[in-house]
Amino acid sequence: MDVPKPRILTRRWGLAGSHTLAVAEEHGGYASLRKALSMAPADITALVKASGLRGRGGAGFPTGLKWSFVPNAEKRAGKPVYLICNADESEPGTFKDRYCIWNDPHMLIEGCVIAAHAIGAKAAYIYLRGEFKYVKDRLDDALKEARAKGYVGKNIMGSGVDVDVWTHQGAGAYICGEETALLSSIEGHRGQPKLKPPFPAVEGAWHSPTIVNNVETLQVVPWLIEHGPDAYRAIGTEKASGTKLFSCSGNIKKPGVYELPLGYPMMELLNDECGGLLDGHTLKAVIPGGSSVPIMTPQEVAKATMDYESINEVAGSYLGSGGFIVMDERADLVDVLANLLRFYAHESCGQCTPCREGTGWMFSILDRLKSGDCTEDDIRILRDVANNIHSRTICFFGASAAMPVQSFLKKFPEEFFGRAGVSVPDDWRPAASAK
Amino acid sequence: MPTVKINGIEVEVPAGTNMIEAAAKIGIEIPHYCYHPHLTVAGNCRMCLCDVEAGGRGPDIACNMQARDGLAIRTDTPRVKQMRKSVMEFLLKNHPLDCPICDQSGECRLQDYYMDYGQYESRLADPKVTKHKRQDIGDHLVLDAERCVACSRCVRFGDQITGTGELRLFNRTDHTEIGIFPGVRIDHDYQGNLADICPVGAITSKDFRFQKRVWYLTDTDSICTACATGCDIKVCHERNQVFRIKPRRNDAVNQSWMCDHGRMIWQDLTSLGRLLQARVEGQVGNTDAAMQTAVETLQGAEPGTVGVVLGTQASNEANWALWRLAKDALKGASVFWCQGNDPGAWDRVDDLLIDADKNPNTEGVRALTRHDASIGDGADLAHAVREGNLKTLLVLQDDVLGRLGDAADGVAVLYIGTHRNGTVDKAAVVLPAAHTVEQDATYTNRRGQVQRVRRAVHPAGDSRPAWQLLDRLGASLGKAPGASTAAIAFKKLSAQVPAFADMTYRALGTQGLPLVAPQPEAQTDQASQEHHEPAK
Repeated sequence: MDVPKPRILTRRWGLAGSHTLAVAEEHGGYASLRKALSMAPADITALVKASGLRGRGGAGFPTGLKWSFVPNAEKRAGKPVYLICNADESEPGTFKDRYCIWNDPHMLIEGCVIAAHAIGAKAAYIYLRGEFKYVKDRLDDALKEARAKGYVGKNIMGSGVDVDVWTHQGAGAYICGEETALLSSIEGHRGQPKLKPPFPAVEGAWHSPTIVNNVETLQVVPWLIEHGPDAYRAIGTEKASGTKLFSCSGNIKKPGVYELPLGYPMMELLNDECGGLLDGHTLKAVIPGGSSVPIMTPQEVAKATMDYESINEVAGSYLGSGGFIVMDERADLVDVLANLLRFYAHESCGQCTPCREGTGWMFSILDRLKSGDCTEDDIRILRDVANNIHSRTICFFGASAAMPVQSFLKKFPEEFFGRAGVSVPDDWRPAASAK
Repeated sequence: MPTVKINGIEVEVPAGTNMIEAAAKIGIEIPHYCYHPHLTVAGNCRMCLCDVEAGGRGPDIACNMQARDGLAIRTDTPRVKQMRKSVMEFLLKNHPLDCPICDQSGECRLQDYYMDYGQYESRLADPKVTKHKRQDIGDHLVLDAERCVACSRCVRFGDQITGTGELRLFNRTDHTEIGIFPGVRIDHDYQGNLADICPVGAITSKDFRFQKRVWYLTDTDSICTACATGCDIKVCHERNQVFRIKPRRNDAVNQSWMCDHGRMIWQDLTSLGRLLQARVEGQVGNTDAAMQTAVETLQGAEPGTVGVVLGTQASNEANWALWRLAKDALKGASVFWCQGNDPGAWDRVDDLLIDADKNPNTEGVRALTRHDASIGDGADLAHAVREGNLKTLLVLQDDVLGRLGDAADGVAVLYIGTHRNGTVDKAAVVLPAAHTVEQDATYTNRRGQVQRVRRAVHPAGDSRPAWQLLDRLGASLGKAPGASTAAIAFKKLSAQVPAFADMTYRALGTQGLPLVAPQPEAQTDQASQEHHEPAK
């Protein structure tokens, strides 16, 4: 498609030494911070609101609106505000945040300080996935540089604003990417989600108002300050403005991270950016937003564009974190689903009943199905279990484990019943679509 | 106060009330495992999922939905029933189903809810997850992780009530299990509560282990008399034998808890020191003969040399009867009361429930002394004994001689009590009294809450309630206090002592009532004149 492909998040990627302060500054780094510090916090929040920026961690919640939920000083009654950057990127098929930090740690630091200023936080924590030790080392080096230069710490650039930024390394649990589990973890507790309400913006880390934003979300903020909300809105679709990073993997010629405007046709992402399927193979399915979201058929892929609304309307799926997983005709979907469920059955935090008991159950059925040791009833039970988990759990993990099962069984039932040696029952499809 | 709608029924509840409590108010039970009224909301069992009609998004959990105007939920839809069924199926997926050998059987929420929300036909084809069994986690507790539903009540109890935090959830997914850290053992005084709040058979009590199937047990509401706190309890018994004591909810006294010492008071019933028969000069005999000796001793005493000692271990009724006896039948007898424990008893104390005062009725006796200023204290008694003014003492369950020592040599002591102590060994006459779980009576706790004990088992041996013994003694002396039953004794007490004004057994109910605050002086005088009239 002949649309401009502005580079917002990746604008300094590829420059030699892009992770150093010198290179970042040379290419506009921390200019936005200077400007933002002269702005009133409420004006920054209003600007982010006007830009239409939506959270890039997966849920797509409007960022400016989230910031505006922080109670005012009077209601806070002396409690501090915290900003937490969620860099616990663990969704299978998603690998953008690690490149964001690896290639341009200063963009994240700048974004954190601006966002903290906007919400009135004096401390920002960047929570990194345990496996990202090498990323954390680079980020820590960048923080040291920024702190030495006075971009982080007390009285930043003489503005009187204090914001300190700290990194925190997780211990490798997928669930700690869920924002309330992340809060439990950073507080030093077992990493398991908390009940909502209260929402973190009102009562988060250490019972204080806390804003949790994804790496990519915060990295957009310096650009927004520099170029203004209208320029951002000019990119993407009406409801999904700006660009998004897509982590593309699977049976494609050029796997990698691509920055594209939202609303970009899915087929073009596949064929142009990703270089198409490997030679001699045909498309079987795509998981568009990280392993948790419902799978898409080739027909759906042809119709959808890469934005929140289109994927949902066309395929009942989600843009999620932008983890674009492509499978060709060789993919054994029973094996794929069993593999996914092995992951979820391993990572469920075990706190609430349906997910704790159900994920393991779904995996054990699928594990049997791989060798055909299943009956038609087992596949019905599998769907039942998924339905009994979805939206009945404390956090979204339950749904994340249920949606692949529900969608695979609905869109590719012949693969599953076929493995069990039976044909798809007549009553299967309508019942499945009733959900 | 906000009004919420549950199954179409409007109910007004205080702001912040959750939907489980609001529903209970109108008689709708919302099944739950993890929610406990005295612990924080965990919301993990998902059994209380309800449909939200208005004011929120559903399905949502009742325990974490707080009352606000406009909120309307339903617990009677097919979907709610289906959700409960599915949660039950999940909970039982890896449960060992060993009900036949489980102590919880009969009072297990898995069993209870299965009756209404059971799948009945197993859909499980794969092996169950195995976990650690029969773990010795404390002096009173055994943990079976396979039976656990991971509701985290016990974890929250350790964190929020005792603050000891020994228990934690370990591992993830269906391998999640409750456990204690290596080298740690639960050694606080509130272990029994962990077995109580466990909604299933994961944590069971060693003392009750394999002792009785619970459906044979009868529960009798009572209170604990191990200290001045007076925790509400239920005494669980069968065929005149007590098997265990459990706490009963009373937010004004003990919330839902009790200590392990109180939990064991029933063992005193049959302990070696228990007085089961009357004694005269150390010789065991029958009660009638001992009573006759006591009467003769009292009648033979010189006027002005008889004293009675009220007992802070004994009930309001017994103390009232003794006080009346001194006023009416033993005219001129001086009345004393002693405040104090046996040496060393004050040491066991905490901020939670265990009071330093090991006497369950100190405040009840104090209320009597506030009303009758002529009642002397321990110092007065010691003084009178040293001066040789007292020759005969009628003592109600207080170790007077243990406290006075040699100074009391030569004083004839008539003792009414439940257990052997320093006084019993030297007493001229001992009349065996019934234990608190063997009688109807009331006690007044440290905060002035007047609460009932109810007879759960027959008095052991020849023992009888102290108020009954005193009534008989009074009758033989020519003027009975008139305590033919405990309720009548209490009625008279409440008519005579303003602190107990207008109280009746029925009004006390299961939760008790606070003592009436002291009245303006004029009224007190009037009341005391009224009851002194018969003595004129």
